[in-house]
Amino acid sequence: MLKSCYIHIPFCKNICNYCDFCKNYYDEKLVLSYLKSLQKEIKENYNKEVLSTLYVGGGTPSALSYNALDILFKITGLFNLNDNYEFTFECNYEDITDNLLQKLKDNGVNRISIGIQTFNDKFEKTLGRKINKKEMINKINLTKKYFKNVNLDLMYALPGQTLSDLKNDIKCFINAKVTHVSTYSLMIEEHTKLHVDGVLQINDDIQYKMYKMITKMLSCNGYKHYEISNFSLPGHESKHNLTYWNNLEYYGFGAGASGFIGKIRYDNTKSIFNYIKGITRVYEENVDLVKMIKDEVMLGLRKIEGINKNDFKNRYHLELNDVFSLDEMIKNKMLIETKTNVFIPEKYLFVSNEIILNVILNCNLN
Amino acid sequence: MKKENIRNFCIIAHIDHGKSTLADRIMEKTGAVTKRELKDQLLDSMDLERERGITIKLNAVSMTYKNGNEQYLLNLIDTPGHVDFSYEVSRSLAACEGAVLVVDASQGIEAQTIANLYLALENNLTIIPIINKIDLPNADVVKVKKEIIDTFGFKEDEIILTSAKTGSGIDELLDAIINKIPSPEGKDEERLQALIFDSVYESYRGAIIWLRIVNGKVKVGDKVKMLSTGAEYEVVELGIHDPKEKKLNELTSGDVGYLCASIKSVSDIKVGDTITLAADPSELLPGYKPMKPMVFCGLYPVESNRYTDLRDALDKLKLNDASLSFEPETSTALGFGFRCGFLGMLHMDVIEERIEREFGINIVATSPSVVYEATMTNSETLLIDNPSQMPSKEKIKEIKEPYIKTNIIVPSGYVGSVMQLCQDKRGTYINMDYIASDRVNIHYDIPLSEVVYDFFDKLKSFTKGYASFDYEVIGYKLSNLVKMDILINGEEVDALSIITHKDFAYSKGKVIVENLRKLIPRQLFEVPIQAVIGTKVIARSDIKAMKKNVLAKCYGGDITRKRKLLEKQKEGKKRMKKVGNVEIPQEAFLSVLKVDE
Repeated sequence: MLKSCYIHIPFCKNICNYCDFCKNYYDEKLVLSYLKSLQKEIKENYNKEVLSTLYVGGGTPSALSYNALDILFKITGLFNLNDNYEFTFECNYEDITDNLLQKLKDNGVNRISIGIQTFNDKFEKTLGRKINKKEMINKINLTKKYFKNVNLDLMYALPGQTLSDLKNDIKCFINAKVTHVSTYSLMIEEHTKLHVDGVLQINDDIQYKMYKMITKMLSCNGYKHYEISNFSLPGHESKHNLTYWNNLEYYGFGAGASGFIGKIRYDNTKSIFNYIKGITRVYEENVDLVKMIKDEVMLGLRKIEGINKNDFKNRYHLELNDVFSLDEMIKNKMLIETKTNVFIPEKYLFVSNEIILNVILNCNLN
Repeated sequence: MKKENIRNFCIIAHIDHGKSTLADRIMEKTGAVTKRELKDQLLDSMDLERERGITIKLNAVSMTYKNGNEQYLLNLIDTPGHVDFSYEVSRSLAACEGAVLVVDASQGIEAQTIANLYLALENNLTIIPIINKIDLPNADVVKVKKEIIDTFGFKEDEIILTSAKTGSGIDELLDAIINKIPSPEGKDEERLQALIFDSVYESYRGAIIWLRIVNGKVKVGDKVKMLSTGAEYEVVELGIHDPKEKKLNELTSGDVGYLCASIKSVSDIKVGDTITLAADPSELLPGYKPMKPMVFCGLYPVESNRYTDLRDALDKLKLNDASLSFEPETSTALGFGFRCGFLGMLHMDVIEERIEREFGINIVATSPSVVYEATMTNSETLLIDNPSQMPSKEKIKEIKEPYIKTNIIVPSGYVGSVMQLCQDKRGTYINMDYIASDRVNIHYDIPLSEVVYDFFDKLKSFTKGYASFDYEVIGYKLSNLVKMDILINGEEVDALSIITHKDFAYSKGKVIVENLRKLIPRQLFEVPIQAVIGTKVIARSDIKAMKKNVLAKCYGGDITRKRKLLEKQKEGKKRMKKVGNVEIPQEAFLSVLKVDE
């Protein structure tokens, strides 16, 4: 049953040096044409299911003009949402104002995700974005006045970052007292300015130390580590992201969005010009049972609680331990098996790909 | 054809001195092939031979040539130039009365020129020295002439100048072949004695024997006997190559041709053996000693389910290559494979390449080993071609290893660096001959095991490519050798064991352990790598545990991309061999080779 929808807004007023998402410099006329195509795509594809999560990401959705926002919300108004829906809207802290927050609230948004990345202005140049710690804190506090449920993005493994830099950052994130923290280690991707400038990734050993530090400090402050990179206060896990980790189907609308509907995973064009011309999907892939089950492992083992054996059985009518030969990995403590679940021990979370690969290579289905 | 009008000869030369082109030109001149038929270097028929510019399998061709009023039959037997194949040279030499010695006009005498000439002289052949490639702009005929005269003692007027490329001097060469090389001495009336100098395999006719009739004659339908094996066969087909196959009813003394007798495999034929008539057997001809494999290595299929394919490939290669030996072997690290014996490193390379290219099987080769001779405390002698089979130290009284004597020809300016290299390779200096005022032939006794690794590459780089190298095996000498094992995560990896001189063990151990540390990717746990002799650890290096392999991004929708990243890693994993809990890439098994002291 389809319960989630992602909408991509590929416009920014500033392009950050590390970003490899689908994005474009803000242009009002382009935005309006884009929203027209977005509406068309949604109307043509959305089957009136009652959704429980809606996520507007970017890009920078908060960069939209109020006029554009009104159009966007008219579009999101097309979706039927259930009673305890989660509607997340991504914001750049500089865009946040009372007016914006009120507008979001009025239109059903109930979760804000702010791309803070770091409070440390030493990284302003590297990241290519404005970093003003005081303003950041003010905007977070302002957001909290309107919204109970707030996520902050935390980025680490920044070029030149020391462990004590990170420690100071984490303290700020904790002090912000928000409900959710998403972390990610900076990846220097091709086609980003950082890559072009030849900036080097910091070494794995330090990254691992940083990851451990984040996990430890957030956990000690009441945050639950529920997915490799995600932390929340109890009960505030991101429902939308859990759709992904639980290998459930979801709509993806907009240029650069990906979706999973009717056993087909698809990617939309990354070119907003093509998108405006009416081209949407550029890649489709049929997910058969074996692929589905392997995806289940790849995604499910990202969750700290891992895969629930009973859920797996109910879903596929197969025993997890029959589909995959796990005994040796369990014996080697690469996996932990309880009565109900199979999961990756904390010690190996940062090398989870290794474990996931081993599980997939030990798949008994063909 | 009158016996006195037959000439059996071969061409000997250092690699690249133009032997094959010269053979082509002779065939063209005698009308054996027209220019149109003449693909470059007709005698090198294997693709690999043409690509590498080397001749591996020898071939023979018969030509008729009119000189004055007389018709002559010229039998040319091609020979390989490379040192690994010197046994093939000696085969063809035994079937000839004369040899054309080719020296490149710009290069001068090289190591294989000398080695091959000595082989020819041992066989009492008449030698016609020629200087080839005189058309080259950098040809120095005067200097090369002097080298030939000074080194080999030829007279100036004996030396013929040719250019196989332009054809100049070929008539003069043919005259010399007819006038100088003696006709075969054998008699048709004597009992049949035919020398087998090669055999090839064809799926329809079975093994085809190449032979030189020394005495007597053989007809289709005759019952023949192999003197050393006693096997008897009925002759089904006889013939010569001109160079196309030409069937004949009879071969008589002095002839060089082929014989088919429904023989299933070339392994049923011993090259060097004598064929005689079963009804009226003759004496064994003095054969030449069969060449034994000198270098061994393990060959394993990368995908273990291709073991049988690999066996079939080796079987097929062996049909045509009696010098290739192999037997099944099991390695705890690599699974099921074969211990293969080769004549030398080039032979090994060629076989490995043919398996991959012609049979499409990916293989892992373990580092090559020579054959060691161990005398046990109970006086038993063991021949060991696989380091992992070396018995423990307490049981061994002494170990001997094969030694070679080198011919290393270099411009005299490089003598110092060559000597340094030989010294590093445990060589013992013997002496040095001056070929010309500025070129020397350096003789060292060196353990063969030091040469099978990277000696030739090093020699080339030490001398900017000017050195030429050849060797002869001179026998076994006592050596202070030890077996060094490699433990990965505490487990001995048999495929990585080597035998090495004790004095070099520490430095080699250090390098191997370091190489492996770099080649083996980080695993989930720390992996110690140790080099041990017996129970004594002589070098150690640790591969730190893998710290990061995660998609630590917070966004999630793009699942296909995640999957693709994993797929890529999965492919990498599949190419690894798992030893215990450790995944080891294929290259690691050869890393023991790349030991740079």
